[in-house]
Amino acid sequence: MLTIDTLQLLLVGFATAFSLENLLMAALGALIGTFVGVLPGLGPTSAIAILLPVTTVLEPTQGMIMLAGIYYGAMYGGSTTAILLNIPGELSSVPTCLDGYPLAQQGKGGPALGISAIASFVAGVVGVIGLVFFAPLLADQALKFGPPEYFALMLLALTLMVSLSGGSLLKSFLMGAFGYALSLVGLGPSSGMPRFDYGISSLVGGLDMISIIIGLFAITEVLKGIAEKRKATVIGKPGSVYPQKADMKKSAAPMLRGGLVGFFLGLLPGCSAAITAFLAYDLEKKVSRQPEKFGTGAIEGVAAPEAANNATSSAGFIPLFSLGIPSSPPLAILLAGLMIYGLTPGPVLFAQHADFVWTVIASMFIGNMMLLVLNLPMVWLWVKLTRVPFGIMAPVILMLCTIGAYSVRNSMFDVWIAFLFGGLGYLFVKYKWPVVPLILCFILGPLLEESFIQTMAMGSGSLGIVLSRPLSLSILLAAAVLLIVSLVLNRRTRQRLREEQKKGVDVA
Amino acid sequence: MSFLLAATVSACATGQSVQGETAAAYPTRQIEYIVPYSAGGGVDLVARATADYLSKEWGQPIVVVNKAGGGGAVGAEFALKQAKNDGYTALAVNVSNTTMLAAGMKNPPIQNEDQIYTARIGKGTLAFAVKADAPWQDFAAFSQWVKENPEELTWTSVGPAGFSAFGVAQWLDAIGADFSKTRMIVTKGASDSVPKVAGSHAVLAVHTVGEIMPMLAAGKVKILAVAGEERSPFLPDVPTAQEQGIDGLTVFWWTGVSFAKGTPDAVIQKWEEGIAKMTSDPAYLQKLGEIQVEPAYADRQQFTQDTEKETGAYTELATKKGIRK
Repeated sequence: MLTIDTLQLLLVGFATAFSLENLLMAALGALIGTFVGVLPGLGPTSAIAILLPVTTVLEPTQGMIMLAGIYYGAMYGGSTTAILLNIPGELSSVPTCLDGYPLAQQGKGGPALGISAIASFVAGVVGVIGLVFFAPLLADQALKFGPPEYFALMLLALTLMVSLSGGSLLKSFLMGAFGYALSLVGLGPSSGMPRFDYGISSLVGGLDMISIIIGLFAITEVLKGIAEKRKATVIGKPGSVYPQKADMKKSAAPMLRGGLVGFFLGLLPGCSAAITAFLAYDLEKKVSRQPEKFGTGAIEGVAAPEAANNATSSAGFIPLFSLGIPSSPPLAILLAGLMIYGLTPGPVLFAQHADFVWTVIASMFIGNMMLLVLNLPMVWLWVKLTRVPFGIMAPVILMLCTIGAYSVRNSMFDVWIAFLFGGLGYLFVKYKWPVVPLILCFILGPLLEESFIQTMAMGSGSLGIVLSRPLSLSILLAAAVLLIVSLVLNRRTRQRLREEQKKGVDVA
Repeated sequence: MSFLLAATVSACATGQSVQGETAAAYPTRQIEYIVPYSAGGGVDLVARATADYLSKEWGQPIVVVNKAGGGGAVGAEFALKQAKNDGYTALAVNVSNTTMLAAGMKNPPIQNEDQIYTARIGKGTLAFAVKADAPWQDFAAFSQWVKENPEELTWTSVGPAGFSAFGVAQWLDAIGADFSKTRMIVTKGASDSVPKVAGSHAVLAVHTVGEIMPMLAAGKVKILAVAGEERSPFLPDVPTAQEQGIDGLTVFWWTGVSFAKGTPDAVIQKWEEGIAKMTSDPAYLQKLGEIQVEPAYADRQQFTQDTEKETGAYTELATKKGIRK
């Protein structure tokens, strides 16, 4: 828990972080990160991976401060393209698209970006405060999550499919099954044997998540634009980025809830920002009095996932620093950064390099502030970017998609996959098949399979172990409750939707 | 833009090198150093330190390219079979994507014959870790317990035929315990498997000393023994299995450099010499020490011999224990 010693170390950390060079590093990192994050397909993982060599010329503290800035910046940049272009740079920005893009289409892109920045800031600060208080304490809890707990957690996450179906449950399940089938391609997580590779060596490595995301979200968007003969990308005026009081009032509670969901789940290793962002979005939809507004431009649908997303990113530093467990791909690359400097994460890091750890923590406060101060005014630059005629934007986006898909594994195969899924995505959207269940099952599939096999090994071939352990049983019960609630709420929502439609409200 | 420029420059350089490349001239352009694992692991960190050292030494950039997937087979396949064998694509090899791959699979995508084992750089000692408050005080007592209760032993592995699996198979063979009765929990890697032991979801984790170090220092796990003939320099207080009366634990982790079959001899020689010099440089050795990797230089001849011997031994073990599929 928080002691005088910790507080003192934090204050010393602040003193160091406020030095001119370190401030510069945080600002530079946040700016570069946002810039790279705004490029479609280049999310935090690629941004950090690309910029890691640059930071190694700096000394460790400055390098890490810059990397943390890049991380936060790239997360925020991803939200910007999600809202304005319906292109999530990273999976965790997908929920932001759901309401952010409709808002942008209605000419409220500005306030949506503003709320997103403020939500990120609030959650980032919540996360960092949590990091200061609970770092040593909560690291221990993470260990209690074994395979049965993860298996139960995955089942809980899959119940999200019901609420994300946005209409036909059958279509949603079929798309989920398709996503799961895609995730099976490649080496089995447990057997290590190639499957569904049809003798093609590129398929042995499996299908890459990023290239499928780029295809389904970015390339599909370009194809749609071409089909609609779109002239400019922005529909209507984005409006002021400074949100109105009413928007702030509506978003305050979702931000806080999203931040808390994101923070506490983010402590679990392997619980990515994508999962918490979806959960937060879903939670908001659940507690909302007007759930039917979600997906059509509800500001709460932007605030909650953005907050969750950022809080998870901060919380992920706890298992990373205190145990050396990276809970997401970008954190894994940050771990590599630490190792390159010869700083092995673990409680030893807190003991031996206390000045370093606390300076980085302090600079996260500063990094979040930089994002708010720099990005709110800078938003206009990104908005202007979207005013460029589509005829120019389309090839640029396609080029960036190509680079993004290629850069993940340095392979042309992933580029072809991205374009293939771009074409498929266009057909899905045209014939109203939901893509989100596909992506959800594609990501969760391998985790579910892995935890299932591990659980079976632990239980000598019996799943009873999931029921006999209190923690996994609780999660399972929560999943069951959630499923029933989802089904009930879904039915209610559809009824409400029909009512609204009868009233003549145009809900797609 | 700079990407295009670099591509043009390297294309020009290729044109020139065709006219006549001598040993002294190599390298005349950028070298790609393929790491078939994701960034941050042991193989990656050693490769990055090596690339850094040799690019300064030779005055040409050596770029580390991570091509992860397939337990190291995807990147190896690219470097050895798809890329040109002109010496400008190097491969970071290790025990998992070479000898163990050949032993664990009847039709491995990559074989010893596909590559020239150029030089070994470093090695890692295998450590047997259990939860910090586990009831066993030493490895002998633990081995006795496993022998009596093989069905109680859950152990974490990285892939069904990775070095954890070979380490455990060899140990169980040595103490005469039934391998098939134990339960293997396949994980993503050390960062996933050691916490499982610390959280008592599995009994035993077998990894290199460096990979266990963070959780060991945190007091979450304890190491009962290390494999090999000597104690690990990073854990001078931990006895070897041999010291505790269990012989024959020879599995160790190693990493080095390979080139595709048919690569010019001059290139191989240049790398051999470069790595020999590097592994005797105190600055480089300090870097290895920081990531808990021990220097273990072997030249082409020695390295090739060792891998062939190892492949034979592991194939025999894998066949006997039913790991070979």
